[in-house]
Amino acid sequence: MESQPNKQTGWCNGIAVDLYSGGVGKSCLLLQFTDKRFQPVHDLTIGVEFGARMITIDGKQIKLQIWDTAGQEAFRSITRSYYRGAAGALLVYDITRRETFNHLTTWLEDARQHSNSNMVIMLIGNKSDLESRREVKKEEGEAFAREHGLIFMETSAKTAANVEEAFINTAKEIYEKIQEGVFDINNEVCCTFLLNLAS
Amino acid sequence: MPRHAGEWKLPVKLFERMELFISFARNFLTEFFRFHFVMFSRVRNAIFNVVGGLEPLPVLKAPESGSDDRTLGPKFPYSRPHFLQFHTEEEILVSADHHIRPIIVPRDISKLPWNSGYAEAVNAGKSLRNEDQACLRRAMLERPESRERNMRGIRQDLRKMPSSPECMNPATCLPYIYFALFDGHAGTGAAVAAANQLHHILHEKLVDVIDHLLPPLDGYMQLEASTKHGTTFFIPEKAVDNEALITGALESAFWDMDQLIGEDKQKYKVKGGCTALVALFILGKLYIANAGDSRAVLCKSRCPIPMSNDFTPESERQRVRQLAALQPELLGEEFTHLYYNRRPSQRDLGKRILYRDAHMTGWAYKTVTPEDLKIPVVYGEGKRSRVLATIGVTRGFGDHDLKALNSNIAIKPFLLSQPEVQILDIQEEEIKDSDVLIMGTDGLWDVTSNEKAVEIVQRSLDHFPANDKSRLKYRYTSAAQDLVMHSRGKLYEKNWKTADGKAATIDDISVFVIPLAPYKEEYTEWKQEYEAIHGIYETSCETSEGFGKLSLKTSPIATGKAVMSGLAIENSVNRDSLPDSLGDSSASNIPLYSADIALKIDDKTCALASGQDNSVLVIENTSSGDNLSSHYNCGAEVKGTPPSSEKSASSKEGEEDYASVHALMPCTDTHTTSELNVFCQPKDLSQKPNTLTHK
Repeated sequence: MESQPNKQTGWCNGIAVDLYSGGVGKSCLLLQFTDKRFQPVHDLTIGVEFGARMITIDGKQIKLQIWDTAGQEAFRSITRSYYRGAAGALLVYDITRRETFNHLTTWLEDARQHSNSNMVIMLIGNKSDLESRREVKKEEGEAFAREHGLIFMETSAKTAANVEEAFINTAKEIYEKIQEGVFDINNEVCCTFLLNLAS
Repeated sequence: MPRHAGEWKLPVKLFERMELFISFARNFLTEFFRFHFVMFSRVRNAIFNVVGGLEPLPVLKAPESGSDDRTLGPKFPYSRPHFLQFHTEEEILVSADHHIRPIIVPRDISKLPWNSGYAEAVNAGKSLRNEDQACLRRAMLERPESRERNMRGIRQDLRKMPSSPECMNPATCLPYIYFALFDGHAGTGAAVAAANQLHHILHEKLVDVIDHLLPPLDGYMQLEASTKHGTTFFIPEKAVDNEALITGALESAFWDMDQLIGEDKQKYKVKGGCTALVALFILGKLYIANAGDSRAVLCKSRCPIPMSNDFTPESERQRVRQLAALQPELLGEEFTHLYYNRRPSQRDLGKRILYRDAHMTGWAYKTVTPEDLKIPVVYGEGKRSRVLATIGVTRGFGDHDLKALNSNIAIKPFLLSQPEVQILDIQEEEIKDSDVLIMGTDGLWDVTSNEKAVEIVQRSLDHFPANDKSRLKYRYTSAAQDLVMHSRGKLYEKNWKTADGKAATIDDISVFVIPLAPYKEEYTEWKQEYEAIHGIYETSCETSEGFGKLSLKTSPIATGKAVMSGLAIENSVNRDSLPDSLGDSSASNIPLYSADIALKIDDKTCALASGQDNSVLVIENTSSGDNLSSHYNCGAEVKGTPPSSEKSASSKEGEEDYASVHALMPCTDTHTTSELNVFCQPKDLSQKPNTLTHK
């Protein structure tokens, strides 16, 4: 499969996927990144939420189009259709809930199966501000990322720590692949972005 | 044609003079026309302002009125439905990604009445924008005078909370809920215009008939008006029911909407046309008005019940052909109103062919003449049928400038803005929790049958059972999303296909899934309150020994509500003083509303003053036959304080500026104004509170 950025707008598509139950703060991450704000009580994502932001890499303007998809199993068939166009993904788990970490493998399989094989995936341990309630060690996250060839980072949507970096690092990685010609981008500087949150 | 070389050898001086003359003439003409144009547009502005455009008229930029779209701006900017809460142009762009075709649902479901579901998906690239539009409104019809006067208590309430709809009294305010889908074609202008304006127009139409929908005081007419201006209250010859009035409001609103778009074309860029499907919940009923090929389907007890008919060239073939037969000049030289079982060609000249004229439903033979080689006014079958070989819908708004392909023949005369209105009596129906109304544009129905839609909705609803409180609010949104998903399908290679491998739609898709039970509940509650308040006025009055024991009898709910809303006060003194004759088993169950003072006016009439404020209720004995229990009608309400400095019982503060006397009397009553005026003499009211005047 091939990444198909929207030629008219030059957007990069990204997808956020909650793995199974939601509540890891995926939508909060998106909101923090696109709007620079934190909304503690967030509605369950039904289907898809989206955001857009312009960033600069190597002096080039890149539009990020981020799809934030529902984690619930009920919406799985709908959310899968967003995988197709994505160049990047954020796979997010909640460091205070081990089960969200345990489901990473399932999600990864699903994503690899339905998306572009070149898709850049970043693993994110969210809620790093809740150190006292931590259930998943940072080292575990790092090990998982190493094992599956992902980039890793811990973030907090609440304090905004590393949120910017997470998105931009992923975008940079995608940008490199564009330069290498891995993605067919049609002159448009653009990355398709899959923000994936495993909860 | 080759020119002679000599023609170009004119003296240079002549050229210069001609140039001078031409530039002079051009300047003169420009000034001349500019002046006239300014005058013309002023006059037109004045006319439009009178005719009533909803928005102030902008300055016209182009001398050529309206014909050049590029020079006019849109009246409303392109947007997506307000309840999707898109804040930026970028969000609109992202939502219209033709490759991903995201299924967009509202960000905040609670913005929709009863957590109704909505979902949409953009087309697969046939137009840059999503040409569907949706609108929903929860609004309140309010009697204009309700803000000022007429009802005790309510007036006080209003003073406290000037314009908060939640506090509106059911006696003067009627809530309704409006959902609409508009499927645009050949541009977004008409659909955007309809989504921005139709509900305002409809609201005005409904306000026009508020006196019927919500009678001022049931069965009473306003005396004030009739004394001043003679009989101003129009009593219709024919009995007109509310259904006909609401249907009429919808129909006239649709008509006006179309006219408005036509007028706006002179001032703004309004491109294309659109279909319209409206669901209106009002007075316990659901009204579906449809003009076009969007569809509303009721999903009841897991069965689909169509609530609208699709209007396409196919379904309206007969109407279009009859119009064409009556006005053949509308067809130009290229079309015919006849219909053939197959399209005749040159070779068929002189042969016989089966045809159908506008006045026929069957077939007959005729000999093919050159006339028959013209294109039938409606040509093509099913989804491909077209009027004048151009347009695939026959009802809706807009398309005022649309011409048949490659010709100058106007299409608008063949289009109707008139909706077909169907009514469902929700109040009478037994409504289950899973009974919903599905509204969808043709993008949905092209792929998903009514039966399939019901199946999908039921599956979604079962997934979010009603007893799961925390997730309940997602159930209708989820159902709408699943419907869109089914029709949109997924992209395989370069084709959008449904889950079962069939061709999916490449059209825009918009869907509402609206639960019916919450409206029924809401309406029942409103109706109880409404009747409670009206109960006060409609109550009968009984006495066995004359006015001394006079009390008003009303239902328990009515009394309770009335007391709560300040319309009445309960008077225990009066209730206790009731004679046994009224306190029999049946009567004692009925709470009594009593007045602070009761006045006997004459043998047949008395007046009650109900404390709190200075209004007087006039009771008249109408039944003379029954001596055991005389029946009194609540004859009139006289409101206001007598214009006297003397302190009357009911105006405790003795305020200086007295309200004028407003009286209400039964329509059927023979009493005249003069008689009523007697009741508000100051001396009649100078009684002590909490006492009854004995006979």
